[in-house]
Amino acid sequence: MSDANHPGALTRLLRFSLRGLVRDLRAADVRALFIALALAVAASTMIGFFLDRLDKGLTRQAGQLLGGDLVLEQGDPFEQEVRDTLENAGLVLSDQVDMVSMVSHGDAFQVASLKVVDSVYPHFGANHVDRGDGVELLDHGPPPGEAWLAPRLALLIEVEVGDRIRVGETELGVGGLIEREADQSAGFGSFNPRLMMHVDDLSATNLVQPGSRVEFEILAAGPAEAVAGVQPLLERLRRDGVEVRDVRQDRPGLGNALERAEKYLSLAGLAAVLLAGVAVAMATRRYVDRHLDTAALMRCFGATQAELTRLFALQLMWLALAASVVGALLGLAGQAALLGLLTTFLPLELPPPGVLPLWLGILTALSVLVGFAGPTLLRLKRVSALKVLRRELDPLPASAWVVVAAAALVFGGLLWLYSGDPLLSAGLLVGGLAMLVVLWWVGNLLLGLLFRLASRLPRRGGQDGGLVQALRLGGQQLARRRQASLGQLLAFSVTFFAVAMIFLVRGDLLTTWQDQLPEDTPNYFAINIQPGERDAFSTVLEGAVDARSALYPMVRGRITALNGEPPREMVPPEARGDNALRRELNLTWQERLPEGNRLVAGEWFDALGSDALDNDEFEGWMTAVDAQPIADASPAPVPMSMEDGLAERFGMELGDTLTFTIGSAEVVGELASLRNLDWDSFRPNFYVIFPPGVLERFGHSYITAFHLNDAENDTLRQLVRDFPGVSLLNIDAILGQVRDVLTQVTRAVELVLAFVLLAGVSVLYAALTASRPVRAHESGLLRVFGAGNRLLSRVQGAEFAILGLASGLMGALLAELAAAGIYLAWFDLAPRFHWGLWLALPLGGALLIGVIGHLLSRDLRRQAPAASLGLLGET
Amino acid sequence: MSTTSRTELTPILHADQLLKQVRSGERQLTILSGLGLTVFPGESVAILGQSGAGKSTLLGLLAGLDAPSGGTLELFGQPLGELDEDGRARLRAGRVGFVFQNFQLLPTLTALENVLLPLELTPQTDAEARARDWLTRVGLGERLDHLPKQLSGGEQQRVALARAFVTGAELVFADEPTGNLDPATGERIIAALFELNQEAGTTLVLVTHDHALARRCDRCLRLEGGRLEEMAMDEVSA
Repeated sequence: MSDANHPGALTRLLRFSLRGLVRDLRAADVRALFIALALAVAASTMIGFFLDRLDKGLTRQAGQLLGGDLVLEQGDPFEQEVRDTLENAGLVLSDQVDMVSMVSHGDAFQVASLKVVDSVYPHFGANHVDRGDGVELLDHGPPPGEAWLAPRLALLIEVEVGDRIRVGETELGVGGLIEREADQSAGFGSFNPRLMMHVDDLSATNLVQPGSRVEFEILAAGPAEAVAGVQPLLERLRRDGVEVRDVRQDRPGLGNALERAEKYLSLAGLAAVLLAGVAVAMATRRYVDRHLDTAALMRCFGATQAELTRLFALQLMWLALAASVVGALLGLAGQAALLGLLTTFLPLELPPPGVLPLWLGILTALSVLVGFAGPTLLRLKRVSALKVLRRELDPLPASAWVVVAAAALVFGGLLWLYSGDPLLSAGLLVGGLAMLVVLWWVGNLLLGLLFRLASRLPRRGGQDGGLVQALRLGGQQLARRRQASLGQLLAFSVTFFAVAMIFLVRGDLLTTWQDQLPEDTPNYFAINIQPGERDAFSTVLEGAVDARSALYPMVRGRITALNGEPPREMVPPEARGDNALRRELNLTWQERLPEGNRLVAGEWFDALGSDALDNDEFEGWMTAVDAQPIADASPAPVPMSMEDGLAERFGMELGDTLTFTIGSAEVVGELASLRNLDWDSFRPNFYVIFPPGVLERFGHSYITAFHLNDAENDTLRQLVRDFPGVSLLNIDAILGQVRDVLTQVTRAVELVLAFVLLAGVSVLYAALTASRPVRAHESGLLRVFGAGNRLLSRVQGAEFAILGLASGLMGALLAELAAAGIYLAWFDLAPRFHWGLWLALPLGGALLIGVIGHLLSRDLRRQAPAASLGLLGET
Repeated sequence: MSTTSRTELTPILHADQLLKQVRSGERQLTILSGLGLTVFPGESVAILGQSGAGKSTLLGLLAGLDAPSGGTLELFGQPLGELDEDGRARLRAGRVGFVFQNFQLLPTLTALENVLLPLELTPQTDAEARARDWLTRVGLGERLDHLPKQLSGGEQQRVALARAFVTGAELVFADEPTGNLDPATGERIIAALFELNQEAGTTLVLVTHDHALARRCDRCLRLEGGRLEEMAMDEVSA
């Protein structure tokens, strides 16, 4: 060891350090270090593995919804070259053709939405089809000669499985009723009931004619690298106006709920890591105290400072590695449990977790060790060899500020690593340090106050004294060991703070989620309500449903110009294939800003003043529409409001114009305001809204959403009977899926909370272990002076309870401040005040620390004074 | 060892005008002043003195565990003043052994592991065999796996003796090696110490107030008023 270059030196050092560690495993502080590090790794790997797999799973699920990892769509058949490029990149292709056509059976006719699939379909998942023997899960589409119908279509044209129906110029047998399609790509954007058939039958229908409205799709499935490999092709296709949906880029999110849950899990993981760090810091103090004699002896035998540093660093590295392995295994088990809680919403076969979270976990353990234990460990290297002759020659403890600064630096780095947001990390860190300074100051004040209070308590009672005597002695002991008590006070405060915060945020997240999807969230959409039916429909709903949205008029229009030019030339290249440019948009008119919409730029129509709507120019434009279905010159623009996301995709700003072709007329809208929509609201939402007086003259129908309980089926029947032309869409399944996600994510959040609690307990354990020798010494002395078992027990209980009470108060203060900050900065929620916290934390803290501390000190009370007093000097 | 042969050898330890002062509050305390000492290889030297005379301070300085306030000090011919603390530690490694009054065994290490401890600092291929051998020599061959708390005071000090000699140290410092032992046990430890010293041909510098122990050394010195004085053997016996 004195010759580091000696070939065997490193091996010997490694062996020596490992042997030292194995011997040390008997020590409580090493156990505390091990537990804390393992918990840090477990928390970070569990959440890392989980988020990794969740992300992969959601991508897979999104691929299932979309029908492939990559979907291309255009109005003409795709060229062979596109196909070849995709296949050569390693993608499996499936062709699909979508169109709307009349389907008939006998005298019954119905417009249906045709989905023509090949034999590869579906890439993912299965169709839920009833072929006459109940619903089956089939991983294929209908075979040639067969058609599968949505139950509603079967009802409308009155067919059953086995009947034959006419599609275009051919006949197909009804092979089954589709309860659920493997891919939901069309969603309810297509209001006509579904008919699924095989591509081999398409030519016989003779439905694909020049000028007919047909969408050709290529659904491609394959690994991310394959999709990445065809990006140049995709860019070109987008510029050519092909709609390209890449599941990794355009993943239809499950809304804010999951995003918040992911953030919450990361936050909780970090809280667990922070607590583990505090536990590591506390346990290290005792570890170092215990090893001072070893270090001095080694110095005496000729070890240099560098060798001592290497020796103890290696020893702890072994510990960190062992803790990493155990922690990673725990993390793997934890993530499996988390995923187990989410099974009904995630696809059954999840991709296995990657190794990155494992490395992150090990990195976390080592960082926590270096940051939270480093400065304290350096004390070992500074030990003087002379200590072997003069025991009192201990090196000075590391400055508290150095310890805090090192820990803060490392924790800040971890924050950055996990959140990916340097500004937020810096903000949290600076805030955290500021709070620590405040805590330090408040803690000092509290201890001073405590000493004065305890000293004023009356002296009475004998050997087994009463509660007052116990409080007086306990309080005095605590206040006398000012620095040690302050350290514990801070550690416990931070623990209570972290646990409370994770608990608070959890509660508020859940409340927010519940508020987001209340019981009466609309579960039915009614579309195609004719103007003449509007009032009658409204009357039926009146009083029969719990909640309903307004009835929105709907006019279908196609965007034909942006600022007077062809839109595909004006929008950014990546938006050329946008759905909004390729299909008719649903336009509406509203006098007021609809419920759930938020104005983010510009002014709503009423603020523009009546002049904007009633001026001559506007009147003139109206006349132009009446007189001239297709104007030679563009009509004068009218104000319109647009969804901010679409405007951003199109690169539009306030004042830009969009021309819509509605039927055979044109309407020019000038962008007057941008709206932010809540797409999770399950209410009708519109990209473009005009003021009243613009669209009324065009053919329009109404749409509404309402909530209907199962028990109110009479209302449903009445609606179907009285309004046969109105389509009713039940979205209970989608709503149920979202609710499931929320319930399961809630459970996942609770599991993570348990982890944070465990990390909190590890802090308690480490802190109590660290302070054990001093407490043993004090109780030994009290015993020598004649204190009875009961008094000792009470004094210790009182001391811990006071510590818990003070820590709880300080923790509540911190949690309240931090939660407010986090709501504003991270979750975009309004802060709330938590009265319960100020009661629960101090009382709970006093009880928890009082009981645990009391129990852990039980054997100290049983020890003979000689043994207790001897404990202090022991290494 | 005769005086004439001594002068021909290079001293293993040489101190000249050694000064040690410490601050105690506002006051400067002089513990050692103008102290001189020369020890030759193979010698055994006892330093006697009253409690508080500065015996342990002197031992710390001689072993390079502490730095003097003035004067020169050479260990193995190397001026310690030119070395920093790490340099002094490297000089000791494998060449200096220690026996302490309070044994200084690590309580979590077995007897064998305690003896192995100094061997971890020097490249040794047969470390464990050597440690076993030395423990056997001090009569603890059957108690290798015992922890210090399972051993008596005398046994603990024998482990410490084995630890002091196991590296093949050229120089062993002993600080009141019998100070914590009853007279009979102390006797046995003294016998063992000198036996091992004889076998290994080690130089021995011991600090004690035990005259019986001092008498077994080649030379006896008295530490008084911060200086060392050579004592006649009959003076020690007195």
